[in-house]
Amino acid sequence: MSEVITDSGDSFTRSAGRQLLLLGLLGVAGFALLMLVLGWLSGLTGSSSGSADAVDAATGTITLSLSGEPPQLDSTRMTDQVSGHVMGHIMEGLLRYDAQNRLVPGVAERWEITPEDAIFHLRDNARWSDGSAVTAADFVFSWRRTVTPSTASEYAFIMFPIKNAEAISNGKLHPDQLGVRAVDPRTLEVTFERPVSYFDKLMAFSTYLPIREAFFNSRNGRYGADAEDLLYNGPFTMTRWVHGAHIRFEKNELYWDKDRIRLNVIDMPYITSDSNAVLNLFKDGKIAVAGLDAETLDNALEQRWHLNRFNDGSVFFLEFNHRPERLTHNLNLRKALQLVTDPGELVFKVMKLPGNLPGESLFPVWLRGVDGPFRQEYPAPQHRVDFDAARRHLELAKQELGLAEMPALVMLTGDNPISNKQSEYFQNVFKKTLGIDVKIDKQIFKQRLAKMTSGQFDMVMAGWGPDFDDPLTFGDLFSSWNANNRGRYNNPELDRQVRIAQASLDPKTRMDAFAEIQRIIYEDAVILTHYERGVVYVRDPRLQGVVRRAVGTDPDYTNASIVDS
Amino acid sequence: MTEASFNVSDFEPVSGAREVQRISRPSLSYWQDAWIRLKANRRALISLYIVIGLLSFTLLGPLLWTVDPAAQDLDQVSQPPGADRGATIVGPFQPWEGATANAQVSGQEGAPAEIRLAEPATTQAVRLLWDPVLDAAGYRVYRNVFPAEEGRALGLPLAEILSPDRVSFEDRLDLEARTYYYSVVALDPIGEEFPDFTSLPVKVIRVITAEQAVERGLAKPGALKPGDQVQLKLHPFGTDYLGRDLLARLMFGAQVSLFIGIVAPMLFVLAGILFGSTAGFLGGRTDQAMMRFADFVVALPFLLFMILFKIAFGIGPGESGILPMLLALVLLSWPATARLVRGQILQIRQEGYISASQLLGAKTYYLVLRHMIPNTMGVILVTLTFAVPSAIFTEAFLSFIGMGVAPPIPSWGSMCNEGIKTMLSHPHELIFPAVFISITVLAFNLLGDGLRDALDARMRSTE
Repeated sequence: MSEVITDSGDSFTRSAGRQLLLLGLLGVAGFALLMLVLGWLSGLTGSSSGSADAVDAATGTITLSLSGEPPQLDSTRMTDQVSGHVMGHIMEGLLRYDAQNRLVPGVAERWEITPEDAIFHLRDNARWSDGSAVTAADFVFSWRRTVTPSTASEYAFIMFPIKNAEAISNGKLHPDQLGVRAVDPRTLEVTFERPVSYFDKLMAFSTYLPIREAFFNSRNGRYGADAEDLLYNGPFTMTRWVHGAHIRFEKNELYWDKDRIRLNVIDMPYITSDSNAVLNLFKDGKIAVAGLDAETLDNALEQRWHLNRFNDGSVFFLEFNHRPERLTHNLNLRKALQLVTDPGELVFKVMKLPGNLPGESLFPVWLRGVDGPFRQEYPAPQHRVDFDAARRHLELAKQELGLAEMPALVMLTGDNPISNKQSEYFQNVFKKTLGIDVKIDKQIFKQRLAKMTSGQFDMVMAGWGPDFDDPLTFGDLFSSWNANNRGRYNNPELDRQVRIAQASLDPKTRMDAFAEIQRIIYEDAVILTHYERGVVYVRDPRLQGVVRRAVGTDPDYTNASIVDS
Repeated sequence: MTEASFNVSDFEPVSGAREVQRISRPSLSYWQDAWIRLKANRRALISLYIVIGLLSFTLLGPLLWTVDPAAQDLDQVSQPPGADRGATIVGPFQPWEGATANAQVSGQEGAPAEIRLAEPATTQAVRLLWDPVLDAAGYRVYRNVFPAEEGRALGLPLAEILSPDRVSFEDRLDLEARTYYYSVVALDPIGEEFPDFTSLPVKVIRVITAEQAVERGLAKPGALKPGDQVQLKLHPFGTDYLGRDLLARLMFGAQVSLFIGIVAPMLFVLAGILFGSTAGFLGGRTDQAMMRFADFVVALPFLLFMILFKIAFGIGPGESGILPMLLALVLLSWPATARLVRGQILQIRQEGYISASQLLGAKTYYLVLRHMIPNTMGVILVTLTFAVPSAIFTEAFLSFIGMGVAPPIPSWGSMCNEGIKTMLSHPHELIFPAVFISITVLAFNLLGDGLRDALDARMRSTE
């Protein structure tokens, strides 16, 4: 630039150039000064929280980031993972999972479960954060509220093993008729709709948490909306909740098992899902744990950190819309798309994150079967990519549908980098191999859910995480009555198998039913499984005992401790 | 008497009038003059060449570089320009059973004595075998791009094998032709790692099956046999996160960016001229009313209107939002030009030559066409050239936030959006579109600057 100015030989432009240069220099100097002043100022104001280390052994404080803000913390209405993670630290149900992922007593001291009913004996030292005892009535209130139609809980279905729950949820019976009763303040009696083999596992799920009725009514519908609108009975209490910005847990001194808890404070002053921001926070020692994605992985490798991985138990898949008016109702079209889908290529070449496993079945590998892992006892159907067979199926589909050309299909997907990558990859695969055009409909989570529910899609990138430790948490997903069966798949044979799996108490019979469901889902191309999600993360080595698990609170810091190195 | 003697020649007029004034150079029209002055301005001239170059890159480029911008080359994902492309032909991928061994019989303590490759390591798969470890409940396999060192920086945790008898692992994750360092650690029953580990450096070679080579157009069917060498497809500017050719994407992206960047300003400048000249010429209350309407349009929010048009047009998800973007730009950007033109017209109306022309009986249309428009032409052209970069920038911004083109159609803005996610690991995916946007915007701005100097009649006197 300066060369051009001097070469022009014009004295006017030359002096203007000099002035500009001077101005530029002054500007840079001024900017640097401003930065210094701002840095100094932020140092002054932020010293109270900013100077602390991510892991502070002296005060027993750890600092973390949260991937998102819980929409609200009313256990009867919550659905998302972040809420589940928060609730797992501030609340406790009848049972809970320990560090080795075993089911152990929580509020219930002991329990008896028969095919007809269950009795839970509550411990007398379980306390709410206002000092009052956690009683059987608190559970009765919460459970009845979940199934009450006006609550509109998306998780009402998880109560259906309890007598009359389904009828109440459909508005046929009054909530008082739910099969749960407080025999006395410390005894809770549950009557079953049908024999249920996995009821104890359900008791650790967050929809089954207690709510104190008097407190709930005193909040005038604001229960769970803010830190002071909640009563806590878990290992921690929430002392601060600045929406979208900051959440802080402090050790609950009234918790019955408080000697087990070694952290005093869990501070979460960063709420962001930006993986680069999270990585930088970890690099600066501001947070103790950071999740990594395919983009930040290389950077983490160069930092020579020790990386951890685990499978979070969820399965991701392409779900078809099975409503009769949709093209994807046609089995041959679905088969054609299935035969060109290569989960291996997706996981190894496109997603590139270690830990993800190519999806072979709706039932993930970690599920337990009769004696060993379910997938070892009942292997998933063999999937092979076959372009020629796919094209034959496509021709059949065109004939059946009476179409000369296949119109464009709408693929509904989330608005995040991973979904973008995947949907563009499949858009190209379907176009290249079958000549099918795909329109990508990117939507934020809430909007995507709304569109899934109203059926405005041909296929949708969806996923399912387990709620309880039994194959049924995946197995009943495509039963005709399940509200989460967004594609409205309806197959009486699959429904029959689900009923068997729900009602039978014999493990072999149940696992056979799940194997049958696994086969139907593959052969009928109900969904195209993509991958089982893996998580890669880095952790401050001084923070020990963080539990990651597929079912239950994840990540779980209630057993964590700080080792001073 | 002397007789005066005159001859005819004396009565001829004195030859030619004295040369009072001669035009020594050829007469120049306004445009010729402007062109000369533009040529003298080196910055503007270079910018002009860049603009011409960009236009031919966009319009002629796709004819020369006939690569589909949506085609995914998954053998070369996120490759920077000039990466090695050599590959060896191998047979089709065969599933591998792996290996098992009884740890309690043949195991030793601590860490596996040795890791071996079951077969040569290729980008198709790296197959590892190791000796079992006594009392291990499972193994964890790591892969790193640096040699393993103390402090447990073993790299990517590839897998956890929760069976003591399985002593093999097949790695297929994003393998590139380079050296990897694999480490295997034994796990105890609660999943904690043993203190010792064993490492193996593995040099991976790039391979491709004959089938894939044919499918990708690298060879004719049957021409290749395993062991042959081929060169993978050339990508002069590298590839993006799905192995799509960046050069082709830049060309097609430029079509979208330059289409918006040139068509939108043309339309709204034309609208502005019509509106502004009408208001300026009519004057009085009409002018007041029209200009207040223009002020009102300035106050309308662009983004909101863009979304409204998108809905009004019935543009569904997954369809291009270019048309509503164009419409919103045209409908909301004209007032700036209109104001400028109106000011000019008001000013020119007062000039003496206009009054003279009117006195001589010139009609309105003659006044407008002969005097007013040509005299505002300089201002209009300058507005136009300055509007182009701002429109390109708007398009880039809207595509960046996902309001513009629909995948797989690229635009420079959406390419930046994709590139920014891998900024640290694969900077070329961001740098190329960003540089193109910057150069285009700068070139149009400098060209506009030069045009302003060249077209402004008052600048003539300074030379």
